[in-house]
Formats: sequence, structure tokens, C-alpha cells
Amino acid sequence: MAHQAHAYHMVDPSPWPLTGAVAALLMTSGLAIWMHFHTMTLMSLGLLLLLLTMYQWWRDIIREGTFQGHHTPPVQKGLRYGMILFITSEVFFFLGFFWAFYHSSLAPTPELGGCWPPTGITTLNPFEVPLLNTAVLLASGVTVTWAHHSIMEGQRKQAIQSLTLTILLGFYFTALQAMEYYEAPFTIADGVYGSTFFVATGFHGLHVIIGSTFLAVCLLRQAQYHFTSDHHFGFEAAAWYWHFVDVVWLFLYISIYWWGS
Amino acid sequence: MAARLLLRSGLRAVTTCQAVRAPALSRSMAAGGIPTDEEQATGLEKVIMNAMKEGKDPFNMMKPKSYAGSKNDPHLVPSITNKRVVGCICEEDNTSIVWFWLHEGESQRCPSCGAHYKLVPHNLSH
Repeated sequence: MAHQAHAYHMVDPSPWPLTGAVAALLMTSGLAIWMHFHTMTLMSLGLLLLLLTMYQWWRDIIREGTFQGHHTPPVQKGLRYGMILFITSEVFFFLGFFWAFYHSSLAPTPELGGCWPPTGITTLNPFEVPLLNTAVLLASGVTVTWAHHSIMEGQRKQAIQSLTLTILLGFYFTALQAMEYYEAPFTIADGVYGSTFFVATGFHGLHVIIGSTFLAVCLLRQAQYHFTSDHHFGFEAAAWYWHFVDVVWLFLYISIYWWGS
Repeated sequence: MAARLLLRSGLRAVTTCQAVRAPALSRSMAAGGIPTDEEQATGLEKVIMNAMKEGKDPFNMMKPKSYAGSKNDPHLVPSITNKRVVGCICEEDNTSIVWFWLHEGESQRCPSCGAHYKLVPHNLSH
């Protein structure tokens, strides 16, 4: 067993940071190649390598924590700090897009007609599908909290049911939003309104998909008895991320959909 | 959660209560279907969990115990070899730490404030 006098985890050498860096290189250069020479090969290769890296790296973390017991209290504390710092960085990411939105919408230029929404833009009714989307995400916040309490109280069936419900609500949101995108009377090319709308809501949608995937992985792990009633940080991290996605939507809804309409 | 775990175990160690494990029983695999750490923890996590149950802290995760630092009540410094580096913060809020090697045998004094330190050697359990 461990021949160390400390409770930390000195990780074994791993190839995944290298494959991840190579994937980043191939995706970025591949993007440039796609834009200039109309071929997606390099970018696709990079994307494939990225997916393989994520799968294998996170699988190794699960092996180290759940099956080998390396996630002692100090290690778990470090993982918590890490997730919180990551989510904070994502908050700043979205802050940028909100800045762009408010910059353009608080002082609309003459080219837009000096008004917001700009002349010619028919906005979406905030009390139709966007309001439903808000209800869906808020409900999913309740169900994920239900799932957490179920895990802490040792109730396997309820944990699986509430986690599944959370994921289904996430899919419902994504489906509704996809339909809204398809039916919208304006596009990303429609001036600064279109740009701010689709970039902000688009990145949010991507984060919903990421969050749903994270929760789905947690569901698989819960089904396979990985989590204990006291130690289930993977699930907590997914729940934190999901709440963050929900809060971003609330800001989007209030700012872009409601105030901006 | 980890902080709560540490606090809870620390508290238990301090009060050395032999409380009935009733709450754990109602949360086990048999009861609700989700395993407890008791049933499923493994590796170093399990070693630490068991040590904390006995009030021990073999990996120095907690703050060191408080001693008077006098000749009769020296600071006891655990070590897995026969010497260990000690950092003495002589007075609270001092920004410079006084570092020195503490050797097995008679207690030594901090070169700055004179507090007594004694090495307590023990073996790693594994």
C-alpha cells in the first residue's frame, strides 16, 4: 500500500495531458485550415483526440478515487477548490458576453435606429417558450437537490429517479431551445442584436449540454454503486455546475429576453 | 463535505464518545441501497478513516495539539524517522518562522523563544 507519510495523492505518470495538448493544437490549427482550405480533417482529428483524452483522463480519476481510495479528505478539499475556481472562471467567461450585450443595448447607435431592440428586429416573446425554459431549469435545480439528499440519506432508488429526471429536464430545455433557434425570426448575422443573442445563449446551451453529460456520467456511476452516502464529490461537482448553468440562464432571461425585448 | 467529515471525526475524537452507529445503519447497503464509507472506503482513504475513528492523525492532517512548551509539558512532535524539521512561530502573528532540526532524545529549545520540543518517533503502520 502507500509508503507515504502524507495524505496527498502523488499521481502516477499519465499521457493524457500530452494528448490533450495535442488535441488543442490540432483543433485550433484545424479550425484555421477549415476556414481557408475548406477541409475538416485536422479539426475532426483534434476533436476525436479531445474526446478520447477526456474519457480516459476522467476514467483514471474515477479509478484512483473510487477504486484505489486515493481521494482522502485533503485531496477531496483540493478537488472542491478546483471545481469552484473553474466555475468562477466560467462566470467571468459569461460576464464578457453580458458586457458586450449591455454595451450595445444601453446606448444603441444611430445605425440601429437609436433604440433597443434595434429597428427591424422582432424579438421573441419572453412569456412564451423562454418562460417555459426558465421553469424547466428551475425545476431541474430542485430535482438535482432532491438527488443529492437521496444520496446522503442512502436512498438508491430515489437518487436514480431524481437524477434521471434532472437529466430529462436538461434534454427538454435543449430541445425547446433548439426549436426556438430554428423558428427565430432573426439570425446571428442580424447586427449586434443577433450576435449578442446567439453567442450568449449559444454558449449557454453548450454549457447545458456539458452539464447534462456530467450528470449522465454521475447517473451511470450511481447505478454502479460508486457513490457512498458521505463521499460523492463527483456528483456534488456536477450539481454545482448545473446550478451555475441555471443561474446563467436566469441572468440571460432577465437581461436579453425580458429587458432586451 | 470533506470539511464536515474532518470536523465531525475530530469532534468525535475529542469527545471520545462511543455513540451507537444507528444513523449509519439506516443508511447502509442493506437499508437504502447506497453504500456507506464504512462499507466501501478503500486504500488510503480507509486507513485515514479508521485512524480518525480512534482519534489518531497519522498523516498530520489536523493542526498540531497545543502544549505549554515548558520543560514539563514540551511540544510533542511525532516523527517517522529520528529527526524532523520544526517551525516555531514564537508569538502569535509573528511573520518570521524559526526553523530547526529536532533530533531524537532530550527535548530541545527554540533558539528564539526557548519553547521546549520533544521528538516522539513512531513507525508508519504500513
